[in-house]
Amino acid sequence: MSDNRATQSHKAKKLIERMSKKLNRQMVGSMAACVHCGMCTEACHYVLTNPDDPTYAPAYKADRIRKIFKRHFDWTGRVLPWWVGAKSIKTDAELEELKDIVFGKCTNCRRCSINCPMGVDYATFNRMARGLLVSVGVMPEGVAVVSKDQWEIGNQMGVLKEEYIDTLEWMSEELSDEMDDPEAIIPIDKMDADVVYSINPREVKYDPRTIADAAKIFFLAGENWTMPSEGWDMTNFGLFSGDDDLGGAVALRLYEKVSELHGKKLVISECGHGYRSTRCEGPNWSAHSVPFEMESSVLTMLRYIKEGRIEVDKTKNNVPVTFHDSCNNARSCGLFEEPRELLNLVVTDFREMVPNRSENYCCTGGGGAMSMTEYTPQRLKSAKIKADQLKATGAKIVVTSCHNCVDGLADLIRHYKLGMEVTQLVNLVANAVIVPEKIAVEEAATAEKPKEVAVEHSLEKFKILVVDDEDDIRLYYTVLLEDNGATVIQASDGEEALKLAKSEKPDLITLDLNMPGKDGGEVFEQLRKDPGTAQIKVCIITGRPELRRLIYNRPVPQPEGFLDKPVDDSRLLYDIRKILEVG
Amino acid sequence: MPEQKKIQNCELRLIQQDITDFEVEAFVFYAQPNLELGAGFGSAITRRGGQSIESELKEIGSLSVTEAAVTGGGNLKAKYIVHAVGPAFQEEQIEEKLHTTILTALKKAEEKEIRQIAFPPMGAGFYGIPLDASREVMMRAFEEYLSQGGKMEEIVICANDAREYRAFQSAF
Repeated sequence: MSDNRATQSHKAKKLIERMSKKLNRQMVGSMAACVHCGMCTEACHYVLTNPDDPTYAPAYKADRIRKIFKRHFDWTGRVLPWWVGAKSIKTDAELEELKDIVFGKCTNCRRCSINCPMGVDYATFNRMARGLLVSVGVMPEGVAVVSKDQWEIGNQMGVLKEEYIDTLEWMSEELSDEMDDPEAIIPIDKMDADVVYSINPREVKYDPRTIADAAKIFFLAGENWTMPSEGWDMTNFGLFSGDDDLGGAVALRLYEKVSELHGKKLVISECGHGYRSTRCEGPNWSAHSVPFEMESSVLTMLRYIKEGRIEVDKTKNNVPVTFHDSCNNARSCGLFEEPRELLNLVVTDFREMVPNRSENYCCTGGGGAMSMTEYTPQRLKSAKIKADQLKATGAKIVVTSCHNCVDGLADLIRHYKLGMEVTQLVNLVANAVIVPEKIAVEEAATAEKPKEVAVEHSLEKFKILVVDDEDDIRLYYTVLLEDNGATVIQASDGEEALKLAKSEKPDLITLDLNMPGKDGGEVFEQLRKDPGTAQIKVCIITGRPELRRLIYNRPVPQPEGFLDKPVDDSRLLYDIRKILEVG
Repeated sequence: MPEQKKIQNCELRLIQQDITDFEVEAFVFYAQPNLELGAGFGSAITRRGGQSIESELKEIGSLSVTEAAVTGGGNLKAKYIVHAVGPAFQEEQIEEKLHTTILTALKKAEEKEIRQIAFPPMGAGFYGIPLDASREVMMRAFEEYLSQGGKMEEIVICANDAREYRAFQSAF
């Protein structure tokens, strides 16, 4: 027999053994039901942007897995393999080929699943195939890195406990300053809170302002809330890697921490896969009965407004915005109307993109795609349909309730030069929220001295080295920083940057990563290793967020800040002032 | 409340603790053959421990599965790290290899006069060895090592979370 198991590699044998344990009724139904009608083909963003390549068709991809199922677990394939197209998987090379299909040609967005008249949920068994491959060590490098970080450090971006606590304390100080109230803080590990707030590690690493914005909303709503010191990561890479054991372990850490704190409700910040993993899949993966309520922060913010706990002024957000439904929030968890209701309360010009809700196209960065850099060219090619969808709205800002989508959309917006910004509901609500009179009076008193405030926040005494190979970007940063009082020097490549860092001893360096010659990663490591420059503060500013991991894996202290291009004036100044501890 | 018991003259303890931030004479890092520290605990070692650890590893080069090497702990609270290359991802004879890896790690530590050592649940988590199997193999290896005159005075098992802690409690 051609599929004799004696000819199979050890890994292939183990994969098939484990498949028998992972098959459930839903998967078997999906394996058996496909009639190859082609409806899925028209639903998949990969196919729509690669119409001449049949290997992207969901039915074709599904058949790579279905053949194995039929050969080993379906009687027709065992008896008449040639008739039903049953075929085992035998070599390690075939495992690698399967890896490139299930990780590289599908984001598990489930758009094909809801368009299948037979109810075939391809994404479910694509995820199973990912998990089988991971169990024998066959996975993209990025998947291995993120999985290991989440298994061992406890969050998928490898944020150490001290870094997390430092960031919360920093944001807590910001909140106290902004509200001019020492009681406006981020409470950590507070017992018996009504709300325990969990976040995505991306917020700590790349976007702490979302934490500050959420804290401001909780404070103004008078919420009895807290953030946990451990078990705080509500994301779950097990959903993407197909590793149910990781999924269960991660979910359990979060559930047990909330129970330990006697929290009454777990509020999950805006993250599609985090919400689906924590709220919907986690209890099954972890076999844990969750004794408290779980809620998306979108619902929390909407409730605060409806109950009058916070008031908002939508005219503060008067730029045209559109909304991108995250696949996991919308298609998989039914969160369609609440974000729109909230959005209409906090913006003046909301424009639907078409199609939307369950028919919306994937951001193309889902399913862990942003961590798999080897597939970046095909990911960005497949993003064309999303780019066209965004452009047609005429909006300046795209709002999404998912951190993965933020990165995926920001990347395609850069690639297709759409000139849009990506933001989240928490940022818009925090911007629109009306600070109550008591606090407003104190703010007004402070505002009476604009010159003093300006001096206090000035960058006058600081020297900043701007490093970027693009002339217009250097010019933009330079003008902005000089207008705010800084002395600015410029370098257009890595060698010049190192030379100027040594001779000029700037207080801060803004460093691009992707430069010809010595790239930003090498420059950063050399700066840190040289005792003469090791103490200079560094803010990485990159148009390729997937390269940030190259910085984190370097054996030197981390940079003080990260920003994604394109960066606007307020974001750049906000972060630079934070790093330099100004204001 | 940490679990503890004696095997021969050695104190065996179970605690819940980030092993890379633990004050101990040495801890075991479940290494890869190329000895790159990589992600997870490796990333924590790199960032908390500084560059000297990586430099020492470069001098050593690479190891095969079941082999181990000792480096200093750099700026970590631990004085030494035992880099033990264990089996992974359902590879053949995985439990036998894991057993040998643990014994090799203990032997290498002894050569450095180390008397207190911490282990993670070996091979569990990312490398896919079930927690129950990890516990059984670890306990068997410790008993074998200590019954054959092993000089370690204290072995600490550092569970990374409550789930791992519970899985090891039955060994006490």
